[in-house]
Parts: sequence; structure tokens; C-alpha cells
Amino acid sequence: MELWRYLWRRFIQIGITFFVILTILFVLFRIAPGDPVTRMIGPEMTTEDAVRLISQLGLDRPLWIQYLYYVRNFFTGNFGYSFHYGQPVIEIIWDRLPNTVLLFTSSVILSAVVGVFLGKIAAWRKGKRSDTLMTLGALVTHTVFLPWMALILIWIFAYRFGWFPINGMISEEIWLDPSAGLWIKALDVFHHMVLPLLTLFLIYFGSYLLIMRSAMLETLKEDYILTARAKGLKEKVIRNHHAAPNAALPVVTSVGLSLAFSINGGALTETVFSWPGIGRELVFSVSNNDYPLAQAAFLLISAVVLVSNLVVDLLYAYLDPRIRY
Amino acid sequence: MGLLAVEGLSIGYHTEKGLLHAVEDVSFTVKRGRSLGLVGESGCGKTTLGLAILRLLPENGTILKGRILFDGADLLEKSDEAMRRIRWKEISMIFQAAMNALNPVHRVKDQIAEAILTHEPETPRETVRSRVEALFDQVGIPRSRMGDFPHQYSGGMKQRAVIAMALALRPRLIIADEPTTALDVIVQDQILRQTRRIQEAFDISMIVISHDIAVVAEVCHDIGVLYAGQLVEYGDRESVLQSPMHPYSRMLLGAFLTVGGKPPRVPDNGNDSPDLMDPAPGCRFHDRCPMAEDPCRQTPVASVTVGRTHRVLCRRVA
Repeated sequence: MELWRYLWRRFIQIGITFFVILTILFVLFRIAPGDPVTRMIGPEMTTEDAVRLISQLGLDRPLWIQYLYYVRNFFTGNFGYSFHYGQPVIEIIWDRLPNTVLLFTSSVILSAVVGVFLGKIAAWRKGKRSDTLMTLGALVTHTVFLPWMALILIWIFAYRFGWFPINGMISEEIWLDPSAGLWIKALDVFHHMVLPLLTLFLIYFGSYLLIMRSAMLETLKEDYILTARAKGLKEKVIRNHHAAPNAALPVVTSVGLSLAFSINGGALTETVFSWPGIGRELVFSVSNNDYPLAQAAFLLISAVVLVSNLVVDLLYAYLDPRIRY
Repeated sequence: MGLLAVEGLSIGYHTEKGLLHAVEDVSFTVKRGRSLGLVGESGCGKTTLGLAILRLLPENGTILKGRILFDGADLLEKSDEAMRRIRWKEISMIFQAAMNALNPVHRVKDQIAEAILTHEPETPRETVRSRVEALFDQVGIPRSRMGDFPHQYSGGMKQRAVIAMALALRPRLIIADEPTTALDVIVQDQILRQTRRIQEAFDISMIVISHDIAVVAEVCHDIGVLYAGQLVEYGDRESVLQSPMHPYSRMLLGAFLTVGGKPPRVPDNGNDSPDLMDPAPGCRFHDRCPMAEDPCRQTPVASVTVGRTHRVLCRRVA
């Protein structure tokens, strides 16, 4: 019961926040330099054509009318047509989104799992050589500039060794081959995904390692750890059953937030690897003044951030009984 | 022959400034089914002593010399694994529950069951459950609250849960470190009486560590008074309470407020506890002692036996 009330309140909060974002985006796009119409109107158009187009787009109406249309269009799922592709924006988004989700959820999960595991071990062996090595490694990989890391990996593994494709997500010859089964295709995608995944993993696992390590060191000072020792529990049980669950809480926040920001934060990775996802599309649409596409991509990102926050809160409640009850 | 005999135990902590002499040459015994109270102000080494017996000193703590004989065998010579098996099964500990002694993310009943299953892994689930239920009955927590998390309990309930956990394996010795410190007086009294009843019923030996001499006076057969790491007075309750010999014990008992009585006047010359980094070889209390003479500071003190079971560490008494 308590939970439903909480959820309901959070949904209302999310709705209000989203509406504010929607409005800010509307304003931003109106005051941004560059005029969407000049881009659409070609030199071969007559003045009448241009005027007709402007009135078709509703750009001759007062701003507040435009705003109402904007809101109505949003709620009816009408995001307009991409200037560049000439396709409905929603189709483009739905086409790119799964690629981004595939790459980033796997990278966040992989780096979180490895980071938490290593962070736990590092804290347990505080001050020993393995701890220094892991902490130092995490700091180095975490602070490296992402495109540089991506290029180095491409240079070594794709160019020198030729183990992985340089970019893209699929090999056309495999996908056009009617005899290729689902497994072959999946394997092909995975083959393309290894390098971008490795890049993201190397950049991000360090932050989870460091967060987990410091949270774990704090937890190990708690009195209940002393109780666990006094109870004669085995060291492994103390570490995994008593210290780690408490220490993992701050990591959950971090994972949730990076899932949220991976959609746009991935722009660099997706661009370097020509991964056909939302991030690359966002960069492309902004640099090409493709307003409808950019607008929809921004809205999607805000929605993902808001929902991830909610998911983090729910997960927290699940993991920490002090919040649940 | 006592169940536990601590002989000439000295404990130090390595700090940035050097070695801190937290406990100096302490000896006492705990007899079967009896309880010993250790009193003293904070920093006197009483908690350090309790942790040392279970070999749970923090990383920078070391036992400098002495023996801890449990059932005739020196605990300091046991392997880590042997020691792990002794913890809770033979010697358990009641921690101050206000200090987060229970893990916030596990249910109380699971934390108690964990103690049982660690040391008696063969126990069937059903038996574990009924044992946990019996423990809750013994300490007076309703069974309906077994599945709660620690934060759902009041302070008194947490303390009872901690006691239930300490009893889970029927250990032969329980070390209770400030078992009632954070509780109000009425709950404190209930818990003390309960502790005493259980201790007598199961013939368990106990060490009760407290800064509150009233607590110790209520539950213990024997009393040891610690000052700055030295056991300054040690004996059965009657001797220590009725004829305290050490000036510090007298001050402690003098500070004991009785309802309706005159407010106590503790003679104090304002000096603080001594520096344990580099203590003088003599009596550590000389700075604050109203009876101190020059030799008190420099000459090491030997303990003086004043009764059949009563010992005092003071050259003025001799």
C-alpha cells in the first residue's frame, strides 16, 4: 500500500519534471541560432511555395499557439518528419534505440559487475600489492580520454591483428545471405560489438571499482562486522554476506545514473565506431540542423534519465530494508 | 580452577606516535557459572580486554605478553581456524546494541540462525527455527517480530535480540560489553535481571564490562576495577563494594549517587587520565591520587593481597 502511494507520487513528480523539460526544449529550439525554414526551402522554390510551407509548418502562428501544437503533437506521438531522412522521426528513433540499448546496457552491466567484484577484493586486501595494482589500474583507465582509448583499441585489435571489424554493427554480406541463420547474425553483431564494448568497459569499470572499494572500506569499520567476526563466521561470509550488500548501495545509484547518461554519453563511442545508435544520430541531427530529430532525441534522453532515477530508488528500497519499511 | 584465567596480560596499540600501552599486566580469573564485572572510565582498556579474549583486536592492536587460558589452553596459541570455532560456540559476546551491532540488511532471526548454522551446520532447518523461537521467548521478544529488520526494533528490543544471539549456542562464557549503556534505567534494570536469570539458569560464566559501577554491582559476583590499563583492585563483590582499598575505587564508589542521599563529592585535583604513550613506571593513578607520595610515580607497584580473594595495586595500602 505504502509502495503504491510512493510510486504514484513519484509518477506525478516525473510527469511535472518532464513537462518542464518539454517546455525548456521548445524555448531552446526557438531561440537557437539558425532557422529551420531556410534549411527546408531550396533555391528552386518560389516565394509562394515558401509561404505555404511556413504556414503548413505553423511557423506563422503566434508562439503560444505553436507551443500548444507542440504539446498536442507530443502527446499524440507525432514527432514530425526528419529533415534529413524524410522519414517520421519516431521510426528513426525506434530503429536506432535498440542498438544503443544493446551496447550500453551490456557495457554498464559488465563494468558494474566486474568493478564491484574487484572493488570488494581490493578493499579486503587494503594496502597489499594487489589492491594498489587494481586501484591504480582503475584510476588510469578511468581517466583516459574515451576516443583515444577507442582509437588505440581499433589500431591494435582491428588494424594490426585484424581480429575485429573496424566499425559498424553488421557485415552486409552475412545479413544479405538468405542462408545465414539467426545465430550467425547474432554472432556477427557480437563480433562488431566487442571493441566498443571493451572501450566502454575499460573506461567505466574503474569508477565502479573505486566507489565499491571506498564504500566497502567504510562498511568494514561498522560494528556489525565486528559482530560477524565474533560470531566466528568465515572471512568469505563476512565479506560477501555482511559487508558487500551494505557497501553495494552507493554503486546502485551510480549504475542507474550511468545507464541514464549512456544514451547520450555514448555519442563519442558510437561516432568513433560508427555504431548506428541514438548517440550518433543526436550528433548528426544537431550538426545538420535536423530539428525534429534532435528534439525527439533530447526528449528521449530526458525520459530515460527520469525513469532510471525511479528505477534506482526502487532498487534501493529493495536492497535496503531501512528504506523499504 | 577457573574457566578463564588471564595471566599478566599486556596489550598495546601501534599508533602514529608510537606504542600505546592500553592494558598493563592484568590478571584475573572467571570461575564456572560466576560473573566478573570490569569497571573503569572510558579509555581504561576494558573493551580492549574483552576483544583480546576473543582475539578480535583491531589491526593495530597487539598482545605484548601474557596468557589467556580458556579451559586450561592458551587462546593466544590457537590457530586462526581453531579460534574461529571457539568464537560464539564457546565464548560469545553481547555488544552494545545501540552501536549497530546488528546488520541492517538482514532479518534479526536470520542473523541468529546464522550463528547456529555456522557452528552446527548439520542442524535441520526446522530445529534451527524452533531454537530461534525459544531464544526470542527467553529474552521476551514476541515471536511475531522475529522477521523484522533491526531498525524496526526499539533500543531495548535490539539489546534483547543481541542477548538472544549471544545465547544461541549456549556458550560457556559470555563477554558483555556495556550491555545496557544506551538504555533508560527501567529497561536497563529489566535487561540486567534477565541477563542474570539466564546466566544462572544455564550456568554460564560472564564478564560484564561497564563504566557504571551500579550495573556491575547488580549482576556480578566479582569485581575488577581498571584504571588506565591497570587492574587496580580485584575481588569478590562484597569486599570491593564494602571495603574498597584503592583510592580510585573509593572515588568511583563515592561518585555513586543514591536517591535521597547527599550529592556525592568526588575529590579530584583536576588532572586527567595519564598519557598511555609513555607511562611512568609506577602507579598510573598517582596524578589524581589524594594519597600519592613521591615513590608512587617511579617505583613499579606490586599487587597486595588484602583478603582471601581481594587484591589491590597500591603501595600505600601495603
